[in-house]
Amino acid sequence: MTRFVVRRLAQMLVVLFAVSVLTFLIFNVIPNGDPAVRMAGKTPTESQVEAIRADWGFDDSLPVQYVTTMEKVLGGSAISYFSQLNVRDQIVEGLPRTLSLAVGAAVLWMLAGVALGLLAALRAGRLSDRLLTVLALVGVSLPVFWLGALASYYLGFKAGWFPNGGYVPLTEDPLDWAHHLVLPWTVLAILFIGFYSRVLRSNVLDTMSEDYVRTARAKGLSERQVLLRHVLRNSLIPIVTLWGLDFGAVVAGGAILTETVFDLQGVGQYAAEAVGQLDVPPVLAVTMFGAFFIVVLSTVVDIVYAILDPRIRLT
Amino acid sequence: MTSSRSFLSAVVLALAAFAAAGCGDSDDGGAEAGNSGGSMTIAQTSQPDALDPALAYTSQSWEPLWVVYTPPLTYRHAEGQEGTELIPGVAEALPEISDDGKTYSFKIREGLKYSNGKPVKASDFEHTIKRVLNLESGGTYLFEGIEGATDFIEGGDPKADITGIEADDATGEVTITLTEPDGTFSNVLATNFAGMVPASTPFENQSTKPPPGVGPYEITESVPNRQFTLSQVEGFDIPDVPKGKVDTITTRIVKSTSRQAQDVIGGKLDYMQDPPPTDLLAEIKASHSDRYKEWPTPSTYYFFLNQSIPPFDNEQAREAVNVAIDSTAIARIFGGRLKPSCNVIPSGIPGHEDPDPCPFGDPSAAGDVDEAKRLVEEAGVGGEKVTVYANNDSNRPQIGEYYTDLLNQIGFDADLKIIDGAIYFNTIGNEKTKAQTGLAAWYPDFAHPGSFLQQFDGTAIQPTNNSNYGYVNDPEINKGIADLLKEPDVATVADQWAELDRKAIEKSYLAPYGSEELTTFMSDRVDFDNCSLVHPLYGNDYTSFCLK
Amino acid sequence: MALAFGALFVALVLCALAAPLWADLAGRGPEATNVTGKIEVDGRQVDVVSLDGTPIGPQWRSEYFLGADANGRDVMVRLLYGARNSLLIGIAAALLTTILATLVGLLAGYLGRWVDAVARSALDVIWAFPVILLGVALATALAVGGLQIGPFTLEAGSTAISIAVIAVVYVPYMARPIRGEVLALREKEFVEAARAQGAGPLRTMLSELLPNLSSTIVVFAPLMVANAILLEAALSFLGVGVVPPAPSWGNMIDAGVERLVTAPHLAIVPGAMLVATVLALNVLGDGVRDAFDPRSRASWGARRP
Repeated sequence: MTRFVVRRLAQMLVVLFAVSVLTFLIFNVIPNGDPAVRMAGKTPTESQVEAIRADWGFDDSLPVQYVTTMEKVLGGSAISYFSQLNVRDQIVEGLPRTLSLAVGAAVLWMLAGVALGLLAALRAGRLSDRLLTVLALVGVSLPVFWLGALASYYLGFKAGWFPNGGYVPLTEDPLDWAHHLVLPWTVLAILFIGFYSRVLRSNVLDTMSEDYVRTARAKGLSERQVLLRHVLRNSLIPIVTLWGLDFGAVVAGGAILTETVFDLQGVGQYAAEAVGQLDVPPVLAVTMFGAFFIVVLSTVVDIVYAILDPRIRLT
Repeated sequence: MTSSRSFLSAVVLALAAFAAAGCGDSDDGGAEAGNSGGSMTIAQTSQPDALDPALAYTSQSWEPLWVVYTPPLTYRHAEGQEGTELIPGVAEALPEISDDGKTYSFKIREGLKYSNGKPVKASDFEHTIKRVLNLESGGTYLFEGIEGATDFIEGGDPKADITGIEADDATGEVTITLTEPDGTFSNVLATNFAGMVPASTPFENQSTKPPPGVGPYEITESVPNRQFTLSQVEGFDIPDVPKGKVDTITTRIVKSTSRQAQDVIGGKLDYMQDPPPTDLLAEIKASHSDRYKEWPTPSTYYFFLNQSIPPFDNEQAREAVNVAIDSTAIARIFGGRLKPSCNVIPSGIPGHEDPDPCPFGDPSAAGDVDEAKRLVEEAGVGGEKVTVYANNDSNRPQIGEYYTDLLNQIGFDADLKIIDGAIYFNTIGNEKTKAQTGLAAWYPDFAHPGSFLQQFDGTAIQPTNNSNYGYVNDPEINKGIADLLKEPDVATVADQWAELDRKAIEKSYLAPYGSEELTTFMSDRVDFDNCSLVHPLYGNDYTSFCLK
Repeated sequence: MALAFGALFVALVLCALAAPLWADLAGRGPEATNVTGKIEVDGRQVDVVSLDGTPIGPQWRSEYFLGADANGRDVMVRLLYGARNSLLIGIAAALLTTILATLVGLLAGYLGRWVDAVARSALDVIWAFPVILLGVALATALAVGGLQIGPFTLEAGSTAISIAVIAVVYVPYMARPIRGEVLALREKEFVEAARAQGAGPLRTMLSELLPNLSSTIVVFAPLMVANAILLEAALSFLGVGVVPPAPSWGNMIDAGVERLVTAPHLAIVPGAMLVATVLALNVLGDGVRDAFDPRSRASWGARRP
C-alpha cells in the first residue's frame, strides 16, 4: 500500500513537471513572442528594451529561462508581463470567486443529480423516467456560454430577478453573494445534473439486481431500508469519486466559460485573458494550479479506491 | 500607442463647439454649479495600465490621475478651447523661459501639501522626473531633452543626479536646462508624468499603493483588476483647480460594456468611461438622452497599407482600397459614433483642412466598388492573398470583417487575423509579422500636426514597435516633416502641414475613414446638466461630477 | 427514439451540405457584407443595418430569411455555412481522436512495458491540463504562427488547427478505456491462440484485437462528435476557433450575445442549432450504447467545457 501511494505521488510530480514544461514551450516557441518589446511601452528606446530583456532574463537559453520563470512562479514572485501585477496575488484574489462558483455548483449538481437519478431508477420504464431521461439529455447538450449569456440578459437585466453578472464577496454580504451566484451555479450545474442523474440511475438499477439486495429483501427489510441502506450507499461510491474529479476539473479551469459569461473574474477568467495576451507567467501559474488540482484529486480518488476496493490491482 | 486612447494637446481647437452642438445643452458643467458630497460608483472596462503617474500612459489612467497628481503646470478645467489653456499647477506661475529657449524655471507654491500632509519640496520634482526615466516609462522620450537625462537613463542608478534639473528646497525654485530649445516643453511640464510625488516614493511601479499627490482627490484604495477609490482631499487649494464635489469616487473594473451600460441605466453605476455598446445605444438615445452625450475627438481611424511588400507596394492597389471604402458603412458599425473623413490630420488640430474634393470620392457617400475592381485588375494584383489584421477591442473585429469582405469584393483573396488588443500594435509594428494591411487608429500625445504625420515618416521606421505600420517612406514627406517640426509656431506653417497631409492621401499611403466620437453616460442620480464637464484633453472631468 | 434523432442529425448534415443552394436562393454568400444596403419590406425600402447599427430581423423569405447580422450578412446563409464548419470540425476532430486513441490504446495495452509507460504518462499529462485551458492555449499559440510537424503544415487561422487541437485534447478520454479493454482482451484465449499460431504483434492487433474493440469505438463515436462540436463552439466563443468572417456556430453566438437587445435572433438561432445537433448526437449515442454495450463506460458530458 505505502509503495503504491509513494509511486502515485512520484507520478504526480512527474506529470506536473511535464505540464509546466509543455505550457512553457507552447508560449515560447511561437513567433512575435518577444515580451521585452511588448513591455517597453509606446516609444521605447533600444536601451530600454535591452534593460527589460536583461532584467527578465529573456536573453538566456530556454532551459535557463524555464528555471527562472518556474522559480518565480513557484516562489510566488512571478509578475505579469503586462500589468506587472503579482500573479500569486491575482490568483489568491480570484480564488474565492472560483471556489464560490465551484462549491455551490458542485453541491447543487450532486443533490439534484442524486435526487433525479433515484427518482428515475424507482420509476424505471415509466413515463416520468422517460421524461427525466430526455431532460438529462437536453441538459448535457446545452452549451454553458450560450445558456449563461441568455440567462444573464433575460433573467438578469430584462426581468431584473438576478444581477446581470459580477460578484459580491461572501464576507461582505452573504445574501447578495448568493443572489449573484444563483444563475452561474445553475447554469454550470445543469450539465452535471443531467450526467449524474443518468449515472446514478443505471448504478441503482444494477445494484438492485445484485444478490445481496435480494437477500436483504428476503430477510424482510422494508423497501425503504433496502433502498437507503444497501442500494443507494453502494450506488453512490462511483458517483462520489466522479464528483471529486469533476470538482477538481471545474476549479482547475472548467469554469472559464461560466466565469467569463457572468464576469465573475475568477481564476479561470484571469487565465483566459492572460492567454490572449500571450502573458506567460499567469498562464503558467494558473495551468500549474489547475493541473495540481486535477492530479491531486485523481491521485486521492485512486488511493481511496484502492483502499475501499482491495480487488484493484496496485499498479 | 494608438490603442491607448491617450491624447494630450496643447491646442485642441473647435472641440467645444462640437461638444456643445452635439448635446444641445450649452455651457454645462460649470465648476460652481451642483451639490457637494455623496459618493459615486463608476466603471472602467479593464484595469488601467498604471495608477502611478510615472507610468500611466492611456486615457483610462489619465482621466482619474489628472485629479490626483497635479504637475507643475496643468490645463484649465474647462470645455473646448478654454480647456487647452496652460495654468500654473504646483508651480506658482507659468515658467520663465530663457531667451535661447533652453532654460525653464519656476517656483513651487508656498505652503503646498501632499494628500498625506507632508509639505511639497522643490527637490520632489527632480525625483518625479527620475522615476519616469528610471522606470522605463513610456513617457521617457518627453524628458530626454533635459540635460543629463540620457546619461541618467544609461547609468541606471536612481540616486544619480540629472544635471539639467536644479532644485532649491529653501526657496522652492526649480530650474531645468534643455540640450535643445523645445517649444512644447511647457506642455511636457503639464503631462501626468510630471504629476508631483514625494521624494520618498520608491523606484517601483506603485499602482497597488499609489503615492500621495497634490490634487483635489487622493487614491485611498487600489485593488488591481477589481476597483480603486478616489477620496476628496481636505484642504487642497490651488487657484483654478476645482476642489471636486463628491466625497468618494469608486471605479469598478467591469469587463463587459453591456453590463456597464445596463447598470448605468439601472442606477447601479453612475458613469461609464467607455462608450456604451452599439446594442444599447439606440435605447439610450431614445430613453435616456437627458443623461447621454457624444463628443468628437481629434483622432484618425484608418487602414494601414504596407508599402514594403506586395500587393500594396503598388500605388494603384492602394488607390483601389481608398476608392472602395465606404466610411458611412463603418459609421454604422460604430453605431453612428464616427465622423467620416478622408485625411490624416483630424478636425480640431492645426493643419487640418477638409480636402475639397477628397481625392477618392466623398467620404460621406458610398465607395465605388466597380472602379476599385478595375484598378485592382489594372494593377495586376487581382487574386493576391492579403491578410487583414484587427484587434479584438469592442467593434474592431466587425470592422475587420467588413474590410476583409471589401477586399474580396474588389478582387483580392483576403482573410482576417484577430489579435488581442494588448499585443496588437506590437504585433503589426514588428517587421517580422509582415502585416500587409489592417486596422489602426491614432490619438496624438500633443495636438500638433506632427504627431499625426510622424507616423508616416520613413526615417522613423523601426524593426520592432514601429508605428509607421504602412512603412511609408517618401523622401518628400520625410523632408517636409523634418523641416516643419523645426518651426516653433505651428500656426504659421499650418498650410504646409495640410499640404503634406494632402500628399500622403493623394498617394494613398493609408486609407483613412474618420474620427471617433466618445460619450458621457451617467445614471439618474447624477446632476447631468451641471456636472458633466468634458475636458478636451482628459475627457470627463471628475471634479465636475456631482449628485442631484 | 435514437433512430429518430439519428435521422435528425443526418438531416442537419444534409442541410449543411445544401448551404450553397440556399445561398443561391438568398442571393448572397456567407461572408458578403451589406452594411448600407436596403431591401424592400411591405413596399418600403428599409435599411438592412440601421444608421445606429441595428440589423434587420427575420423576413421569412428567401432573402434574409432569418434577418441580417450587424454587418448586413444573411443570417440563414451564415447559419448553414456555419453548420458546415462546425460539423466538419466536430466530425474530423472526433475521427482523429478515435484514430489516435485507438492507436495509443492498442499499442500501450498490447505491447505493455515501456510503450505502455510512455503512453500512459503522455495521457496523464494531457489529462492533467484543464480541458478548455489547454484548448485555448494551444489554439492561441498556433493562431499566431501556425505549426509545422514534418511534412504537415497547419497554416495559422485554418480549420485544421481547430481540428488538431480538439482531437488532441480528447485523446485521453477515449484512449484510457480502450487500453483497459485491450489489457483484458490480451489475456483471452483467442488472442493466445493467434499468438501460438505465430501471428506477429501487428497482425494480432489488427486482426484479433481491433475487431473486438469495434463496439467500444462505435459507442464512443457519436459522443466524441458531440463533445468536439461543443468544444469548437466554446473555442470560437472565446475567439480562438474558426476565424471570422468565416462563420461557425460558436463565433456567431459570440457576435450574437453582443446584440441581445436589438437583435436577439443573432444569438438564439445558432445556439438552438448547436443544442439540436448535440442533443441528436447524445440521444443517438445513448441508443447505440444500449444496443451495443450497455455497460460501457462511454458517457456523454464527462469533463467538458
